[in-house]
Amino acid sequence: MRSLPGVIDPGTLPHVWRVPELACAPEKVLGTGHPRLDAQLPGGGWPQGALLEILQDHPGRHVWQLLLPALALLAREQQGPMVVVNAPFEPFAPALAAQGLTHSRLLRIEAARPALRLWAAEQALRCADVPSVLAWLPQARAPELRRLHLAAAQFGKWLFVFRGTNVRAESSPARLRLEIEAGEGLNVRILKRRGPPLAYPLELPAHPKRLSQLLASRRAKVPSTPARKDRSHVLDRTVALA
Amino acid sequence: MYWIALWPSHDEERTAWGWHALQFTPRVAWVDEALLLEVAASERLWGGRKRLLRRFLDTGELLASSPWATAETSLVALALLRLKQRGEPAPAQVPDALALELLTAAREHVGILERIGCRTWGDLRRLPRAGVVRRFGAPLLEALDHACGDRPERYAWISAPESFDVRMELAALATSAPELMWTAQRLLSQLQLWLRARHRGVLALELEWTLDLRRLNGKALPANERLQIRTAQPAQDMVHLRRLVSEHLSRATLSAPANHLRLRSLETAPWPGLSTSLLPEDNKPGEKLHEFVERLSARLGEHGVLVNRVHSDHRPERMQSWVPAKGHVEGSEPAHPVDALYPSWLLPEPVLLEMRGDTPCHGGPLRRLARLYRVETGWWEEGGPACRDYFIARSEEAGLVWIYRERPGGNGRARWYLQGLYA
Repeated sequence: MRSLPGVIDPGTLPHVWRVPELACAPEKVLGTGHPRLDAQLPGGGWPQGALLEILQDHPGRHVWQLLLPALALLAREQQGPMVVVNAPFEPFAPALAAQGLTHSRLLRIEAARPALRLWAAEQALRCADVPSVLAWLPQARAPELRRLHLAAAQFGKWLFVFRGTNVRAESSPARLRLEIEAGEGLNVRILKRRGPPLAYPLELPAHPKRLSQLLASRRAKVPSTPARKDRSHVLDRTVALA
Repeated sequence: MYWIALWPSHDEERTAWGWHALQFTPRVAWVDEALLLEVAASERLWGGRKRLLRRFLDTGELLASSPWATAETSLVALALLRLKQRGEPAPAQVPDALALELLTAAREHVGILERIGCRTWGDLRRLPRAGVVRRFGAPLLEALDHACGDRPERYAWISAPESFDVRMELAALATSAPELMWTAQRLLSQLQLWLRARHRGVLALELEWTLDLRRLNGKALPANERLQIRTAQPAQDMVHLRRLVSEHLSRATLSAPANHLRLRSLETAPWPGLSTSLLPEDNKPGEKLHEFVERLSARLGEHGVLVNRVHSDHRPERMQSWVPAKGHVEGSEPAHPVDALYPSWLLPEPVLLEMRGDTPCHGGPLRRLARLYRVETGWWEEGGPACRDYFIARSEEAGLVWIYRERPGGNGRARWYLQGLYA
């Protein structure tokens, strides 16, 4: 294409991207820790200051495996706790600490009414010392999500909102929409991104490395002890069931 | 010398104006009806007379604007203020052309002095001093000397009290706690002025409202009810405190209509000042973490905002606990157990699994994948001894789960529990 003098080529504008390509995000991104997912996200990671929506049928499943590498990276970069609003279960701090998110970096918010959860999530976004907010908001509607999205954009936070797959067909202000498919493996389908649609789901490692090794050794029926660096106490001995 | 005279337009703001003035200079005094302050010594600090005057008069919403006047001596400033209030223009020659009734000490002698043709301060100064002293007493000439700058001026300088305690009458009887907010805001504004004058930040304050009724429905009522509000870091800016007070008041209940509101400062700390930084990463927008936690704890209840505590224990349900975040935000912890084989979600209570034959079930039979370890605790432990074997199992519905077998003491059947989910 020959560009005319005085006419700006729209392809060079920061917020314009061609349909077959991924947009290059002008804002900061946070690496997801999963190279296969990074390759499919515009900018190569979770974008800052945007609503990131994750849909799934079983609330809480695979969530930490998907998000912990990024949260651990964020915890090293910034001060302050990650706010968890209305989590389906209690996060188990020793397990999260093993993957880089220590217990002091968690702040759990439990509110009875959906309106209060939304309010709490928005207040968390407005707090200067909170780098990221994880909110389970199954009943949230699009205008409420837009409000959260704008708060995240204004204060530059990473906001992850978890909802059920029944809202897949509804419109959403989210910059990025992912669906975690039901099943044993961690299969992530990208429903919405700034770029071409992705037809196939991405298969990501479903478990942390050590657990995968243990399960693989069990599957291979070879009684072996996976390598481990440190042992926290005497009783903590891993024995593959023969 | 540079004196500012100010006449507070509302009587209940008199003390607050005094505290406000104490920010600028320690030489503040009440003379007759006006507040007088001498600011020559601190002009440089505030960037000159004009800026100081602007800062002094620009109180925002804290205080109502009031008439003021400035002059070289306090009594001239006071006289000019009195002229201003009457709506008369100031004469060309100050102080000689000022009328005698503007001087407090001359007021009782104005009649006699006028009859001898003496109407202004200049006329009085030209009279022979010895005769004036004999006829009218020494205080008149002394006041005139003060006014003309021939003698130094001394007053009883005011100071801010050690603790803040102000009681205000409500404009109307308040039947619910949020109706107290309007008066509480005015009290908080005064508190801010007091804090600024004393260079302190408030940590805890108490609102106390006086009940209008002695008895209600045959029950005796206390004379007043109280509400304590605390914050983690000393605050001088009222934005956070105002929001905190309004959160607390929206939850409080009045047992009877209230007619007075009193605000006391319970605990204050020296105010370190706001740290200013030019680095953009130090100036992140948004409120501070402790303010966020306090506000959420006020609305959701203290058990709605939780932080994690870890404990050294072998039983997973006792390895961590969730405690109210209020007052626990900061703090480092000792090393704690870390293991990648723990599940990332923990159930609040272990769930007893139903059995199908010898197989525990949770959404279909569980297939055991790996045995992890055994936990045994002594009889002296709280909650009784535990003797468990932990397994990772696979459930059709829930994916990988963390279960344990409680080994029976006698020959009873083993019981299985679900304790965590891998996510």
